[in-house]
Amino acid sequence: MRMPLDLLLPSWPDPHLDLGEYDPEADLVALNMGPQHPSTHGVLRVKLYLDGETVVKAVPYVGYLHRGVEKLCEKLTYVQITPIVDKNDYVSPMMNEWAVNAAFEALLGVEPPPRAQYMRTIFAEIQRIASHLISIGTWGLDMGGAIGGGATVFLYCLRERELILDLFEEVTGCRFHYNTHTVGGMRHDLPAGWDKRAKAVLDRISARTWEYERFLLDNPICRQRAEGIAVVDPTLAMELGVSGPILRASGVDYDMRRDAPYGAYGDIDIQVPVRTEGDALARALVRIAEMRESARIASTLLDGVPEGPIGALKPVKLHGAVKLKDGEEGYAAIESPRGELGTYVVAARERRGAASPYRLKIRSPSYHAISLLPWLCPGHTLSDVVVIIGSIDPIMGEVDR
Amino acid sequence: MNEQDQAFRHPLYDMVEGVARFPGVDVAFTTADKVLTWSQRNSLWVFPMATSCCGIEFMAASSSRFDLDRIGTIPRATPRHCDVMIIAGTITVKMAPRVKKLWDQMPEPKWAIAMGSCAISGDFYRDIYSVVPGVDTFMPVDVYVPGCPPNPDGLLEGLRRLQDKIRRKRAGEWVEPDRRPPPGMRAPSIPRIGDPARSPRIDDAQLDSVMHLDPGGALRRSGAPPLPPVPPAEEEG
Repeated sequence: MRMPLDLLLPSWPDPHLDLGEYDPEADLVALNMGPQHPSTHGVLRVKLYLDGETVVKAVPYVGYLHRGVEKLCEKLTYVQITPIVDKNDYVSPMMNEWAVNAAFEALLGVEPPPRAQYMRTIFAEIQRIASHLISIGTWGLDMGGAIGGGATVFLYCLRERELILDLFEEVTGCRFHYNTHTVGGMRHDLPAGWDKRAKAVLDRISARTWEYERFLLDNPICRQRAEGIAVVDPTLAMELGVSGPILRASGVDYDMRRDAPYGAYGDIDIQVPVRTEGDALARALVRIAEMRESARIASTLLDGVPEGPIGALKPVKLHGAVKLKDGEEGYAAIESPRGELGTYVVAARERRGAASPYRLKIRSPSYHAISLLPWLCPGHTLSDVVVIIGSIDPIMGEVDR
Repeated sequence: MNEQDQAFRHPLYDMVEGVARFPGVDVAFTTADKVLTWSQRNSLWVFPMATSCCGIEFMAASSSRFDLDRIGTIPRATPRHCDVMIIAGTITVKMAPRVKKLWDQMPEPKWAIAMGSCAISGDFYRDIYSVVPGVDTFMPVDVYVPGCPPNPDGLLEGLRRLQDKIRRKRAGEWVEPDRRPPPGMRAPSIPRIGDPARSPRIDDAQLDSVMHLDPGGALRRSGAPPLPPVPPAEEEG
């Protein structure tokens, strides 16, 4: 985005091929981390080649949570797909719903009414806070455990997350997997007095983010384990398609909410937190700063929610009522807590007038983020791998789909 | 026992046959089996086999608001420390051998809780080629906790049910086996990998349809009975 093109040439060795002076058969110990490991955030498996305690080569293996979501979506109608994609990035379901429905609306040529746009934006920002709370909390648990003070961050973060789940439960009736977006708008309207309660929660969390920052920065164990660990090269990250907080912690000032506004983001001025260190601590600090910024955006937007309908189409009675033209295709992307979350849809080709897509592809940010692992892990110790995986915060439901 | 004592009833008294009170000392008489039962069902350490969404809800249950520690349940990261395995999330064909291996590593006595509809029956991934239709196809399950995902309250209730089950089994009472909740879905239209009804022809057909972007095309060309059509749109609600 802001980098000169001549820097995009591959100037680093391939970590899979270049093992230096090691003989992979004789000198190294192969160690499997995962797929069941409390610190791999799901079912990620990383095969590590160790020299003593130093990682020489790291190979991530995916597919342990492959649920065939994209194939399943080909069988379902456009209205039925929303609750299915909820389960992809199960820490921020609102984002999945929005990404898919934005693609359908782009194909249909439907513009959601302003009230629906504001509701989507507010929900997305509150969901971003909840997602980052999980990320910071589990990362603290990975690093410190119960002894190093990490469990404190975890318990505090989960405490605030419950407040957010309460807000969403009031609107949609579910703690998560909301199924509240639909093609052309929203399914549930805001209850009376919800904005006051939401603002109170946001103020509370926004004030407490300073506490989390101090938990991380004032803890010598955390600083020793995270500072200077796994510095991400911005050009490498951009070449691998990494986006979101990882990219912003490496000094690339790119955020789709500001640079390609969608929803109600065009109506508001967004300050994008950027750090230049690029290490694991910087990624956590960027996430905490984003939480504060999200709370500010959501509070500001809550003041100006316009009145009006919440859906552009008539309430959908039939599953098959929403139809696209044959062969149409389109792409829409939003900024999820982990980066650019996109959906590519091709409308039915063979079955004429069918109400389900011919092909649906989800471009998930976590998949691109874990492709950084072979470059990040070598040179660090085995215990650093836990910190590295936690700091790039992959969600395996989104990686394997 | 006077009223002041009854205000706080120590849980130990539940298993006590009788309490003799002497000046300055209380002596409890009981059987060793009751002590074992009591300690076993009130210290269920769980091994969270957390793969997806239900794992997040399990995290919520074990942290601040719901606090699983209250009923003596602590999550541990290794199967060798644990009594209960909570299968939280979708189990795929690739993951199932690992789950079985971890289950075999747990020392007896052990129990299993299937948390969430994916672990119970596969839910809407049931028809997908890569998903196991319920973990009870390859390992025993004691308690089913339905939901997508279940609330932490639901998980707590499931653990209480398991405690009750342990108590009644050790007391020699009849315990009606939990039945898997009916999935309310039709059987898979295509036999899965590992199903005896599945023939190599289906493998070829699936591979072919993927390669040529022609769903069901190879089946049609081979003259085999066609796959069931996409069900028509239904009235909602």
